[in-house]
Amino acid sequence: MTKTLMNRIVLTAALAIAYVGVPLLLGGNAYVLGLIVAALTIAGVAVAWALLGNLGGMVSFGHAAFFGVGSYTSAVLAMKLGVPVFAAMLLGGVGAAVSSIAMLPALRLRGPYFALAILAYAHIFQILATEMTAVTGGAGGLLSIPRFPTLLGFEFGEKLGGYLIVLTIVVLAAFAYDAIRRSTWGLALKAMHDTEVATRVVGVPSTHLKAAMLVLSAFITGVVGAFNAHFISFLDPDYAFSSGWTVLPIAAAIFGGYRTVWGPVVGALAIYLVDQLLFKPILPHGHQMILGVLLCAMILFSPGGLMPALRRRPVKENRHAHA
Amino acid sequence: MTNALDILTLRAGYGAINVLWDVSLSVETGKTTVIVGPNGAGKTTLLRAIMGLVPATAGDIRVDGQSRKAMKTWDRVADGVVMIPEGRMIFPDMTVEDNLMMGAFPPGCRRDWKRNKAMVMDMFPRLAERRGQIAGTLSGGEAQMLAIGRGLMEQPRVCLIDEPSLGLAPVVVDEIFRILARLRAEGLTILLVEQNTSRALKIADHVYLMQSGKVVLSERGDRVDLERLHALYFAHETAA
Repeated sequence: MTKTLMNRIVLTAALAIAYVGVPLLLGGNAYVLGLIVAALTIAGVAVAWALLGNLGGMVSFGHAAFFGVGSYTSAVLAMKLGVPVFAAMLLGGVGAAVSSIAMLPALRLRGPYFALAILAYAHIFQILATEMTAVTGGAGGLLSIPRFPTLLGFEFGEKLGGYLIVLTIVVLAAFAYDAIRRSTWGLALKAMHDTEVATRVVGVPSTHLKAAMLVLSAFITGVVGAFNAHFISFLDPDYAFSSGWTVLPIAAAIFGGYRTVWGPVVGALAIYLVDQLLFKPILPHGHQMILGVLLCAMILFSPGGLMPALRRRPVKENRHAHA
Repeated sequence: MTNALDILTLRAGYGAINVLWDVSLSVETGKTTVIVGPNGAGKTTLLRAIMGLVPATAGDIRVDGQSRKAMKTWDRVADGVVMIPEGRMIFPDMTVEDNLMMGAFPPGCRRDWKRNKAMVMDMFPRLAERRGQIAGTLSGGEAQMLAIGRGLMEQPRVCLIDEPSLGLAPVVVDEIFRILARLRAEGLTILLVEQNTSRALKIADHVYLMQSGKVVLSERGDRVDLERLHALYFAHETAA
């Protein structure tokens, strides 16, 4: 059996379980379903973060900004202007993408300097959300943000509905990521990591491509943030721009395998669910410590993360290991 | 007939350090123009300025009579000004075939990329044999062939070639120059930078000698006297 066929079967099975199996098995278990929704929310940001890192070659410490801008844009549009929730969610992504345009000058920076600049940038938006009281409600936050509506008799406002929405966002984001990676653009972006001068010399508009990846990553993160706002129906600046929205996705992506498309998703589900269902009952305070140890162990034993470690078993011959 | 490329009193450099001092030269369409000169003369900087990798602070760069000074590097490539850089700059982690595909990145080149690839493979049978190999594992000569092949994938109107013989064994240098002679015979417009003067002169229609950021000699290829060129070439270095 070829590797691509194998991958397709695994992916199809995983999607079938996610769309049919999970609702059937856990549809009644609101607690676990809620945890899975939270894990997928992190997964969505993790995919966006890995997309920027792998394709754009940029390490971001500022994805909380895009998450927060997306959630506030969507919440405010739905509350103050009566925009339908699904449309507002997409506009939340647009809002985050627009906010990332202000970040474009930082593309001149590289490596740690870009990471630090974007970290500082994230704070600007948190301050804006706190100070622009008239629009955002200030530090008090926004209460009773409209939930997802009932469409075709299905209650998207409930836990199961939310699960299906966030699952779809994550799956679409991962598919988009995969499609870009396989395209000529993806090849050019990969080439840029080796030597940016050489890619320019062959006619690649490298600055434009990097900018496009930043905007796309911000868009995805904004949509996920917007989803979260309508799902939990509450926002305040400390929560929406919390550094947790940066740290957890990075940890998830590294744990799952940030070089792969599905690694961040698997990583987010693994660390969040294991943490909440296994470690939290044992160690109510400081259960994150175990997570830290696990992450260190993963880096030691499989620096590429969980996905490459799982793949190594069935397929010995691995010519495309660089993927 | 206008020249393929005109450089007019060009100044360029790196920040506070200016390298090119009012360089003027022309590349005739369909001809091979050679720039020779010692290390540090500004030859590579000139090519980089023509590509827009180094900003030009004064003067002009014209392709077929039109100024290209304000254009982005990638737009100049799409416009047909192609550089085969010093040190090859192939993409080491990609296969030979993907490297060639990268050469066809400008939208105008993508349409014909299969035909151009067949042409390159025909010109370099060694690349055809190694199409699936990771480019970082190629020998120096093969890597140079790949760099030239990648450049040809960009459908050049003007091809800037920077020291293709650098670091190669004499037999491989022979092979590279045979290829350059063939490209010249096919009518490609070439601007070649080379330190191997005797080899380069054999395929030159026109020769420029650069020293310390200036053009100090401009002569038709068949009129250049190697002795005199070498005397000029080395005299300035010992004097300075």
